[in-house]
This record gives sequence, C-alpha cells and structure tokens, in this order.
Amino acid sequence: MISFKMSPHQIQVKEVVHWFAENEMRPISLASDQHKRVPDEWLENINQLGIQLSTSSFGDSDSTSEESDQTEKRKKSERQGNRLAVIAAEELGWGDPAIALTLPGPGLGGPPVQASGTPEQKRRFMSIFSRDEPPRWGAYALTEPEAGSDVSGLKTTAVKTNGGYILNGQKVFITNGARASWVVVFATVDQKSGRAGHRAFVVEKGTPGFSCTRLADKMGLRASETAELLLEDCFVPEENLLGGESYYEEKSAGHTGFRVAMQTFDNTRPIIAAMATGIARAAFEYTLDFVQHEYPKHGRSFHTASTILAKAQQEIDASRLLTWEAAWKADMGKPNAKEAAMCKSFSGTISLGVCSRCLEVLGPDGVEGHLVEKLYRDAKIFDIFEGTNQIQHLIIARHLYEPLGVRI
Amino acid sequence: MISFQPTVDEIAFRNLARNFAKEKLRPLARDFEEKRQVSDEISRGINELGFSALELPADWDGLELPLISQVQIVEALSAGDLGGVQGFRGPGEAASLFRLVPAHPLFNKIKKTTREKTWPAVAFLNGNKPNHSSSLRLELQSSGGGYLLNGTSRPLRMAKYAGYLLVGLKDTTGEQLLIWLEDHGQWRLLEGDYRLGLLASGFSKIQFHDTVITDEQVLAKGHEAKVLLSQMLTRTRVLEAAKEVGAMEAALDHAAVYTAQRKAFGQEIAKFQGVSFTLADMSIKTQAARHLVWQSALKVDDRDPEGEAASQSALQFAHQSLRFVTDCAVQLLGGHGYVQDFPVEKWMRDAQAQIIFTEGESELLLDHGERLIVGEERGGLHDFIQNVAASNPG
Ligand SMILES: Cc1cc2nc3c(=O)[nH]c(=O)nc-3n(C[C@H](O)[C@H](O)[C@H](O)COP(=O)(O)OP(=O)(O)OC[C@H]3O[C@@H](n4cnc5c(N)ncnc54)[C@H](O)[C@@H]3O)c2cc1C
Repeated sequence: MISFKMSPHQIQVKEVVHWFAENEMRPISLASDQHKRVPDEWLENINQLGIQLSTSSFGDSDSTSEESDQTEKRKKSERQGNRLAVIAAEELGWGDPAIALTLPGPGLGGPPVQASGTPEQKRRFMSIFSRDEPPRWGAYALTEPEAGSDVSGLKTTAVKTNGGYILNGQKVFITNGARASWVVVFATVDQKSGRAGHRAFVVEKGTPGFSCTRLADKMGLRASETAELLLEDCFVPEENLLGGESYYEEKSAGHTGFRVAMQTFDNTRPIIAAMATGIARAAFEYTLDFVQHEYPKHGRSFHTASTILAKAQQEIDASRLLTWEAAWKADMGKPNAKEAAMCKSFSGTISLGVCSRCLEVLGPDGVEGHLVEKLYRDAKIFDIFEGTNQIQHLIIARHLYEPLGVRI
Repeated sequence: MISFQPTVDEIAFRNLARNFAKEKLRPLARDFEEKRQVSDEISRGINELGFSALELPADWDGLELPLISQVQIVEALSAGDLGGVQGFRGPGEAASLFRLVPAHPLFNKIKKTTREKTWPAVAFLNGNKPNHSSSLRLELQSSGGGYLLNGTSRPLRMAKYAGYLLVGLKDTTGEQLLIWLEDHGQWRLLEGDYRLGLLASGFSKIQFHDTVITDEQVLAKGHEAKVLLSQMLTRTRVLEAAKEVGAMEAALDHAAVYTAQRKAFGQEIAKFQGVSFTLADMSIKTQAARHLVWQSALKVDDRDPEGEAASQSALQFAHQSLRFVTDCAVQLLGGHGYVQDFPVEKWMRDAQAQIIFTEGESELLLDHGERLIVGEERGGLHDFIQNVAASNPG
C-alpha cells in the first residue's frame, strides 16, 4: 500500500537527529565555515555520543555467512536502513552539510568496505569506529586530476609485488582524505584492460609513500576537508585489496574495482540527495520565518515572497519523495540506479535554486554573517560530487532507452 | 536603420578596456578579494585611463559619453573581474546624478576634487527599496528647519571608503528627499561579516543617530526628488546590467576554453551534448542580455519615455542570465569549478552578490509589469530634469 507516512521509529530517528542538528551543529556552523574547520573538541564530544553520518547501511547485498547468521529481527530492521539513512541525512544537511560530512565514521569509504570487503576486512576496518576510541574517519578516493566523471580513465597504478601491491598516482578532491585512518583507493592493475583492471585498496594512514599534499580552498562546504593525496611507490599489503584476490579472480561474477565504485554511488546518492533537500529546507524555513515575522502581510513584496516560498516548498517535497523512493527501492532489494540518479540530479538543482531565491527574499540583509548565504555556497557541490548532474542525466536516459534497445 | 556596428571610437575604447581587464584586473582578482580592496595602483590606472569618468559631465572634466558607448566599455572591464570593477573607488551610482544635475551647488566640493583627479568614493543609500528587517529601519523626521535621521541602512557598496553619501529616502510624511552628505561625522560604519561575493567592494552598513540634516543638505524634495531618483536609477540599472553581461562573457569564455581541452571518456568533453548545448545556452543568454542592455541604453540616450521600463527589463534579464551562466560555468568545470584554483567559483559568488545588491528580479519584473498595465506619467521627465539643472546656479 502506498504511504508517505513515517513509522514511529522513523519519526523518532528524525526527531533525534533534528535535535542534534539544531542544538549541536547549528551553533558552530558559521564559525566552522569561517575557520574552514570543525573544532576538534566538538568532534571528540560527538564521537563519544556515537553519532555518525550513516552511509554504510547501504549495499549489504553481498552478505557474508557470518551475517546470514544474524537473527531474522536484525535483518528486518536493516531493511529500512536506507530510509532511515535518508531521513537522518536530510536533518544533518539541514543542520550543516559540511559538518555532516566531517562527522566521525567511515563516511563514503564505508559502503565499498561493507559491500566488497571480506569478513576479516570488514571487522578490521569498521571496528576502529567506536565511541570509546578517539574520533576516526574513513575516506573514498576515486577522483584524479584527469579522471572524475570518467572513472575508467583513472591512472593510479597498482603493480603486483611480493605480498602486496605498489601504488603510484595522485587523487584529488578527497573528502576527509587527510584526517582519515584509511582511504579506499581505486587503482588499475592493467590500464589497457580498462575497467576490468580496476581494483580497490584500503590504504592506511601512515603507510610509507602515502601523503596528503594539499587541502583545497572552495566556494563553500569550507568546514569539510577536501584533500589531494599522493601515492609514491606506496606498498599496500595483499590483505588490503578489498575483497581479496579471489574476489576479482571469479571473472564470471564480474567483480572489478569499477563495479565496487559504481555500486557505492548507487547507494550513496540518495544520502547526498537527502542532504541537498535538507539544505533547501533550511533556507526555506529560515526565510519563511523571516517573512512571517518581518514582512507586512499585504502588498507587493509579501506576494512575491509568497510565490517564491510556495515554489520552494513544492520543490522540496518533490525532492524528498524522489529520494525516499530511491531509498525504499534499496530497502526492498530492488535495483535503484535510475531513482538514485533522479533524486540526486533533482535535489542538487533545486537546492541551489531555493537558496538563491531565498536570498532574493532576504535581500542585502541576508548576506551578512548569514546561514542562507552559506547554504547557497554549500549547495552548489551537490550538483557536482557523487557524479555530476550531467552524469545523472546520462544514467537516467540510459535506463529509459535500454528497454527500447538503444544504448547511449 | 538597424545596425549592431559599434563606432570606431567605441571599438578603440572597448579594446583599451579589454586589455586593461585582461592584463591588470584578472590577474589580481583573487588578491583584491583576499585583501578586500582594489589596490591603489589599479584604481590609479582606472582613473588615468578615464574609465571612472565615462558618465561624468563634461564640465566636471568627465567624458559624458552616451550610455550606448559606456555599456560597451563597462562590459569589457567587467569581463576582467566583476568583483574588481565593483571595488573601484569613485563616484559610483552618484555619477548618474552628477550627469543629470551637474550644476547643483551642493556638488561644488566633489566637482572640485574630481577635477583635481583625487577621485573620492561616493556611496549611495537607496532607502526606497523595501526593507523588511526590523533591525534595519531608517527614519527621517522633519525637525525645525531640517530633519533628524535615525536608524541603520542595509549593507552598502563602497560605504567603507565613502567620503560622500547620497541618500534617497522618504520622510515620515511620505515626501521623497535626495540628501547629500559630505561629512563623515554624520554617519557611523557598522562593518559586518561578508563571505558571499564582491568582497573588495567595501560593504558596510551605515548607522545614523539623531543625525541633523539641514535644508542645505537636501538636494531635492518631493516630485523633483522623485523624478531625479528615477532618472538616476534608470541610468545606473543600464550600467549595472552591462557589468553583468561582462561577467557572463568571462564565464562563457572560460567554460568554452576549458571544455574544449578537458578530456573524459576518450574525447574532449565539448563533444558531449550535455556540455556543448549548455555552453550554447550560456552564449544565447549572454547575447540576448547584451542586446537588451544596448536597447535600454539607446532608449535612455534618445530620451525615449520607455527608457525606464527598458532598463528594468534589461537588468532583470541580466540578473537571471548571470545566475544561469555563472552557475553553468562552475558546472562545466566539474569539481574544478567548485575549488578556488579556477576563477569561476568566484564569479558565481560575485554574481549572486551583485544580484542581491542591485534591485531584485521579482521587484524589477513587477515594476515593469505594473508600468505596462497601469502606465506612468509618460514623457516630460527629461524636460523636467533639464529645468531642474537649469534652475540651479552652478
Ligand atoms: C568538495 C568536493 C568533494 C569531493 N569528494 C570526493 C571524494 O570524497 N572522493 C572522490 O573520489 N571524489 C570526490 N570529489 C570529486 C567529484 O566526485 C568529481 O569532481 C566529480 O565526479 C566530477 O569530476 P571532475 O571534477 O573530474 O569533472 P569532469 O569529469 O572533468 O567534468 C567536467 C564537466 O564535463 C561534464 N561531463 C563529463 N562527461 C560527460 C558526458 N559523458 N556527458 C555529458 N557531460 C559530461 C561533467 O558533467 C562536467 O560538467 C569531490 C569533489 C569536490 C569538489
């Protein structure tokens, strides 16, 4: 039966995360943007509360025997993990997207480890995130200076050697890349074989030959770390090849690093979309409140503001529903690549548009030390990372034409 | 006869502006943003080459160019860096008022300094714009022979550096006034935390506390003030829209060059229609915006009664196109567009700030639409302005 009502559990998650966003994130939001850093002390406190940006509830298709031993009850609760994750992500985006991406935890590195890691790797890499330990991060390093949208063009090489691989190459724009305890690095063992040659490695902080060369200054999302990473004759042991060698040897299963990378996107895009929806909602709510309290309830400006706000709410609703659908499909175990691309594309665009129009309503008063001004700068990245808007269009179009026998 | 051919002089001046923009402004744009001001050297260059005198009256030693010539030059300069252009210290919007009433005695002092080439900065406070923030209200109360001014303005461009302040405001009875202040002591700066864009433009709020405005500081009152303000705003709208076209041109050029070189999936990304069609849309909007600016400039130069409406239309379209074009430029550079290694992210921020600090899109559309439906006192405005100018002994 179709229902857009949240369950009591979902409402509870939303309320708890919203409380956190409002009372913990918002108070440090503007200062973190200014200092281009989330305060360490804050991160330590948050870690003790056990709060993370949940991306790793996705992609549990490759469940291991160990996991299949879990109780029926646990599985049942996991099946709403995707919906819970997007509900929470919208609230975190509402609070502050840059801080949300800096919350301790495996971050975007979580899904590939969960989806393709061996049980031993999952244990080893995921167990370090604990509220009893200092805050830690994981990261996901796919993009290179010359390979962003076109992942198949990545140039970082992995050469087999005794007991492991030697990695050489450069990665750019890696979220939490400098602070991460480990980074899932995508490299090629054979450039000629294209995607089939791709492998995913977990490179641990402190590994000789692995360094952060620069942090990028950005338009927005300034409190979130965006790192350039260098791999120079960096030895990575065999045990850190995600899934192990056997995973890639089973050719029939079609396992490649490329697939690992893409699977991650299908799973994380709804979360990114939810955050973008949260950004738009934050700008909308702030502006609505401003108009309610400051505007006269008649006249031209009032009518202009009314239409702008009505349009904003309509777009936010549509964005949320597209996102929920993608998450629901994932929960149901159905393919969701098209829906994930749709919600990501739509939310990225409307988020920027809503912020821009809210700035118009607020006028010049809205740019001084202001939340909506910051949200506008933050929102633009949601059109770019995790696959640009054009790439989402390609994915959607491919799915539309595929049944008609046209490959684009 | 319809023609899109600029004059030989316009081409020469435009080329001069283009070179200055490319060689001087563009390379220093990030530096201006970081230091939050345009360097003295650049300001000197701007003044020496005559770029700040385009709108000024001839007997102020200005160039008194028609708007159609000015918009081409201003566009070329802004294609260097809109943030830099908005950071030039000079007469700003007030230049258009000087042009309209060059002989007004209140302008004697600034006229003298301008002729001596010291180029003081003027900030313009348009108190007629709707202001809904309760903390930012201005009140002009008649008191004795003059007025008392109280309250806080919204952030104003150039306020930080202004030696003069032009205020357009209605008093508590609703009468329009134009006020000219040349004593710093009459206002206080309330500097704030600005991060969006146009960061070299000297933004600050201005605060008045029981500021006494004497009758001598009132430039014009009532109908006269209303007409002058509307004429001044018509001219500044055209010039602001021209700056926006320049910023679009910069973003378009940068995106074209980048996408022609950047490769993905084994070819230049320009070969993907998702990229090339976007670039084509950017260019259509830029060109259409430019034509609307030219049309409005020509109408104002010709004293066409539709000049004001054309200026509103041109600025509204420029705003809308500027947002689109600068956003697309960031998009076409992908992640590289979002980081500060390339200028496009700055242009997108500058664009949004520019739109906010001039009249809003909806406001402009409504003004234009109302004028279409209800009409306005047409014609006569220019004659009126000429009379005002003539009636003031220099
Ligand atoms: C703040 C930030 C954080 C990031 N975090 C991470 C991270 O944690 N890990 C990571 O691996 N990466 C990360 N990225 C990188 C991001 O995912 C890439 O920037 C993005 O995928 C685009 O790649 P690109 O920048 O190389 O753009 P390009 O691929 O060069 O694209 C340039 C333009 O061409 C278009 N284009 C390309 N191919 C086509 C096509 N076939 N059809 C139509 N149009 C096309 C694009 O849409 C875009 O408009 C981050 C980036 C930023 C800015």
